[in-house]
Amino acid sequence: MRPSFTARLAIHACNSLVIVFFLLPIAAALIGSLQSDKSLEVNTHAVFPQNWTLDNYRVFLHASVEGNRTFAGQAAYLPEAIKMTHYALANSAIIAISVTVLTLVCGSLSALAIARLRMPWLIWLMNLNVFARFIPVIVLVIPLYVTFRHLGLLNSLSGVTIAETGLLLPFSILILVPYFESVPTEIENAARIDGCSRFGAFMRVTLPLSMPILISYGAIIFIAAWNELLIPLVLNNSNGSITLPVLMANLVGNVNVFYGLMMAICILAMAPSVILAIALQKFVVRGLTLGALAG
Amino acid sequence: MNVEFDGVEIGPIAGKARVKRSGGRELSPGLLCVVINLPTLVFLALVLAYPIVFAGYLSFHKVAVGNLRSGVYPFIGFENFRRIFADPLFLISLENTLIFTFVAVGTEIVLAVAIALLMSYSTIWTSRVLKMLVLLPFAVPPIANGLIWTFIYSFNFGFLNRVLLSLGLISTPINWIGNPNSALYLLALPYVWRSLPFAILLVHAALQDLNPALYEAAALDGATAWGRFRYITLPLLKPVIVVILVLRTSTAMTVFEEVLAITHGGPGDATWTAAWYSYRQSFAPPFDIGIGSASAYVLGVIIAICAIVYVKLIYRKIG
Repeated sequence: MRPSFTARLAIHACNSLVIVFFLLPIAAALIGSLQSDKSLEVNTHAVFPQNWTLDNYRVFLHASVEGNRTFAGQAAYLPEAIKMTHYALANSAIIAISVTVLTLVCGSLSALAIARLRMPWLIWLMNLNVFARFIPVIVLVIPLYVTFRHLGLLNSLSGVTIAETGLLLPFSILILVPYFESVPTEIENAARIDGCSRFGAFMRVTLPLSMPILISYGAIIFIAAWNELLIPLVLNNSNGSITLPVLMANLVGNVNVFYGLMMAICILAMAPSVILAIALQKFVVRGLTLGALAG
Repeated sequence: MNVEFDGVEIGPIAGKARVKRSGGRELSPGLLCVVINLPTLVFLALVLAYPIVFAGYLSFHKVAVGNLRSGVYPFIGFENFRRIFADPLFLISLENTLIFTFVAVGTEIVLAVAIALLMSYSTIWTSRVLKMLVLLPFAVPPIANGLIWTFIYSFNFGFLNRVLLSLGLISTPINWIGNPNSALYLLALPYVWRSLPFAILLVHAALQDLNPALYEAAALDGATAWGRFRYITLPLLKPVIVVILVLRTSTAMTVFEEVLAITHGGPGDATWTAAWYSYRQSFAPPFDIGIGSASAYVLGVIIAICAIVYVKLIYRKIG
């Protein structure tokens, strides 16, 4: 059914409103990041600056303000965290990639067991996973802080990786189990008759067939781990092991607010996850809808 | 191996066949099951089971800075709970959390249904653009979203004031989050922006499954567009709306990043939420982990009650 002309016009109008709403924060961040704070101060009524500049991005990428004309004479006022940008980027990347790999490996092993071996206690494990999605992170992160303090895991990349993997595992198992169940057992059985072990048949047959779901869920885990704030904020707040979201959180409450710089960091922090989400859009959409309906 | 089989019996035979491999004997299913679940069980025990129990332990003990250093946590019974329920700030935080959740989840569901319907017009090009953009907010880190909205809402330098002033819609800048009466609602807007994609995608997926014949029949009977939505679409979307309600209520109640970035709980105590309270009590003065754990546990119990009530309601509806 094709809508009438007036209906189409109304739909176009509503669509435009929604598109503006979706793009507003991105546009604000881009425009803010491409001008100096002086130009923000000079004219507080204009949406677009008179002079565009990339200096905010330069500060972030060089982790210093040396030779940066926009920030001349302001080095002393800049937040300390700015010097740690390289560490933050590297730490965020290491943690996000390790969490993704660990979650996928452990999650698909468990999901395989639940989908194929059907031991009674696995039903219990499955119920635990459903229950786990309702536990607020703040409940878990406070005791984890005390525990990791005793274990000496505070301010280490491995501590945050362990915590985030544990929190993302239940979701991944909930998603992978129905998928593995949908892969017909006949092919695995055929492989077993040809001399494969149970585990070997899974590795050679079911796993390759499950690549689409592993990619889509991998992308979602990466984005979740890259974006996570509360866990590293509590467990990893020292300079060397800081992650990008924690660095950004430390910019808040600074006496001197550098909006331009802040927006540049926001753009750079969202770049990897946004690019990944758009590149793998079909996969991510599928993974998200599957994940919500599982359990 | 001389197993006689025809096509039908491959499954059962293969299930029982003992396959000898050069590598040695195969593990029994029970043992294999334990072995390949071992990594997951270790993670779940360390990061889920143990902390839940330990948080309960901490909330009944005194765990201030000195106790953390010495490693000795004296048992104080319900003292932490008595103190948080005597703390007006905690009660305000709970109230704010409930209002925030109600507003945010309500807005989210209404917008999600509306936007998913708009997205479903695949013959209209702006709807296709919308569909491409819908995932964008999901990928933006919540803390980046929060910082961006501090810039949008800023009184002197803010983007929103600039846009409205340029368009001539306002004549003087507005102090958006400076007003304690509206700050909580303005805090819900960035949260809704970030969490919308998930809800939209779920509704959209459900819309795809609806039978077009229903609409054709309704059109023949002369149903208006509103009538079709009210009496066909909405009832059929009910299950997915309940799923969104359950999942989003539990996440909205733990809102943290936007509070940290945009308001820090202010102005005054207008935007203190439960998760923010637990965080501040534990990791900012007074650095009392016992109080933090106790208050986080209260939040967890409230979320559990909400989830159970929802699930009971759904089962009664279906039954």
